[in-house]
Amino acid sequence: MSPRVTRIVGFAVFAAFVAFVAVLPSFISDFKAQQYAYVGIFLIALLGLNILTGYTGQISLGHGAFMAIGGYTSAILMAGNEQFGGPISGGMKDVWTIPLAGIVAGLVGLAFGPPALRLSGLYLALATFAIAVAMPSAIKRFEEFTGGGSGINLFGTPELTGSATPVEILGRTLTYNDWLYYLCWTIALVAFAAAWLILRGRTGRAFRAVRDSETAAVSSGVSLARYKTLAFGISAAFAGVAGSLYAIASTFVNPDTFPVALSIFLLVGVVVGGLGGLSGLLFGAIFIHFLPLWSQGQDLGSLLPDSVIQGTTIEIPLIGDYVFKGTNVPGGPAIVYGIVLILLMFLIPNGVSGIFHRVGQLVARRRYSRSS
Amino acid sequence: MRRKPALVAHALAGLLAAVALPAALAGGAADPGITPTTILLGGTSPLTGPAAAYASVARGAKAYFDSVNAAGGVAKRRIEYRIVDDAYNPAQTIQATRQLVEQEGVFAVFNSLGTEHNLAVREYLNQRRVPQLFVASGATAWGAEARRYPWTIGFQPSYRAEGIVYGRFVARTMRRARVGVLFQNDEYGKDLLAGLKTGLAGSSSKVVAALPYEVTAVDVGSQVARLEAANLDVFAIFATPRFAIQAYVFANRLRWRPLVINNTVSAASNVMALASEGGRNRTLEGSLTLNFLKDPTNPLFRKDPAMRRYRTIMARHARGANVADVYHVYGMAVAYETVRLFQRLGTNPTRARLMSAARSITSPANPFLLPGVSVRTGRNDGFPIQQVQLQRWRKGKWVPFGGLWESKRR
Repeated sequence: MSPRVTRIVGFAVFAAFVAFVAVLPSFISDFKAQQYAYVGIFLIALLGLNILTGYTGQISLGHGAFMAIGGYTSAILMAGNEQFGGPISGGMKDVWTIPLAGIVAGLVGLAFGPPALRLSGLYLALATFAIAVAMPSAIKRFEEFTGGGSGINLFGTPELTGSATPVEILGRTLTYNDWLYYLCWTIALVAFAAAWLILRGRTGRAFRAVRDSETAAVSSGVSLARYKTLAFGISAAFAGVAGSLYAIASTFVNPDTFPVALSIFLLVGVVVGGLGGLSGLLFGAIFIHFLPLWSQGQDLGSLLPDSVIQGTTIEIPLIGDYVFKGTNVPGGPAIVYGIVLILLMFLIPNGVSGIFHRVGQLVARRRYSRSS
Repeated sequence: MRRKPALVAHALAGLLAAVALPAALAGGAADPGITPTTILLGGTSPLTGPAAAYASVARGAKAYFDSVNAAGGVAKRRIEYRIVDDAYNPAQTIQATRQLVEQEGVFAVFNSLGTEHNLAVREYLNQRRVPQLFVASGATAWGAEARRYPWTIGFQPSYRAEGIVYGRFVARTMRRARVGVLFQNDEYGKDLLAGLKTGLAGSSSKVVAALPYEVTAVDVGSQVARLEAANLDVFAIFATPRFAIQAYVFANRLRWRPLVINNTVSAASNVMALASEGGRNRTLEGSLTLNFLKDPTNPLFRKDPAMRRYRTIMARHARGANVADVYHVYGMAVAYETVRLFQRLGTNPTRARLMSAARSITSPANPFLLPGVSVRTGRNDGFPIQQVQLQRWRKGKWVPFGGLWESKRR
């Protein structure tokens, strides 16, 4: 296959995926459409995080905080904060707040770039983790601006498309959940294309150079300051858009909406999807959204011997037919989640993208050996 | 050379996604929530996360329903109670609640826990006309905004009402008392403080110092020290268990012995046992709190039939769980009231009839509540439990005193 042919195949697969995304809601329940909307949201955040961590090599444990900035930007622009004594009257339609949320989060990300220059590896991870930890308290501190611990409720407001009345768009009437699905996935696919475009050219090469060897990158004329800052900015802008959609889909923001665990889940998603690959991130997004839900429904008793369950630090009542059923096992879902994650890391250490890459290499090798 | 595998990889990803997604899509059939043999209820609970201790509320309710089901159910229907974990995160509460309503098709959302968490879904449930039954939170909003949100009703006395009772007690029994408050800096702490001030209004006593702490704080030592220096007669602790224990310990170290008012949130006997530092903490003695539930560790109720039943149910349907945990009793009290509602609805329950039944409760005696505490609602009364009993900490246990206190609406 010539490069041109492979590129055409790549575009064809992307187009097929777009078509698949477009028709999917016809085959699934209304509720499932909403669930898959969240997958799209996480995909956007993972794309951004992978630009930073997978391609530029800067670990961030604080992307939940950038999502929070995006989510709060949207919520405040929609509902305003005058009711808490703030200066913004709100009233902006939800879809228009999305790009603004991306810009605000992106600017914060850019601002974080210069200090990040002085930190590397684990130290940077800790510094970003600190933002994630501080964010909920910071939101509570500026109560007149953010509404404090009670948060901002958007459900039923006229600014939120579809929660009060069905959505009419392009001559079709969509249910609220279908509308959320199409909104999130349209943006997710655009974000995917944008990430691909950013990474394929000069900027992407510079990012990878910074990741592989900073010294080599500098000696080749790549400005570390410029590209690290840029990576932080782009990455945070993606997270901001994701956070904005998260707020819109959840119809609610408060400090607990963006807990520290969210930042960690995002990193888990990138690792499962595969650092330094884009297509695997889809599975990373499915993983972080569905695994916690799925593990709640698992029959832990059939998976583990009693002694293992009792050996955990969480007090687990082992009771005949009642306790073994999923949600009634305190800590059970967390155990299932942990086990699946450990297994995945053993089986596919390079994430799903790693599998694709390996298979791709095998196919390519066979082709070349045949043609030679 | 290097590009080729990457592009093939993209192609593979797309194909795999196309194959894998539909397999994961086995859809849930819409359930009306009521079948000839079952009633499906659902609610969120923090099974994991920082507030996992509260999960006992849902577990106690579940155990009670299971015991009712074992005895034949209500009008030949089993009550299925689906508990979904929200990790005490309101965004997850919203998703979980939508899952319960739209996918599992619950008849009513029941006993979901947390103030912000229930506020986050209140609009949604009311718009969909799904009952938000017996919210497990002490916010005043559930009862006070009943007209705007007719599908929502609370259960326990509100934090504000609790504060009012403390204030009225001090106003009635002390003269010119200087009251200091340690409170959690959120709706819950502020509601209690506002109630306390309302209860004190018009008396010679007043709040002279009120110091907040953040939930994320490490300890409350500096607040306690500042309050101690303020020459107080009454020290009100409006804090969750961890901070309440710290407050007792720090106060004792300063040899400070005011009258301590401890809120119900931290008044469970096991929390008090920790605060007592093995009996060495002398600040504890004489502490005041209020209660409406029967405490499973209180020797007063050792032979009480309801507490015997409680222990039997726990042994059969929640074996291994901590029987001393009073949150299980709360869960059983709310489940008991729900079973009674469904008994009244008979063979043909509807959501609207459930709500009108919930707004016309005259339950003289819920066996899991303290003797004399009644559950009553009316068309304009959205506060099911309004009577409380004051009690004092004496030699390692709570001793009730005086009659029941009625907390005025709002």
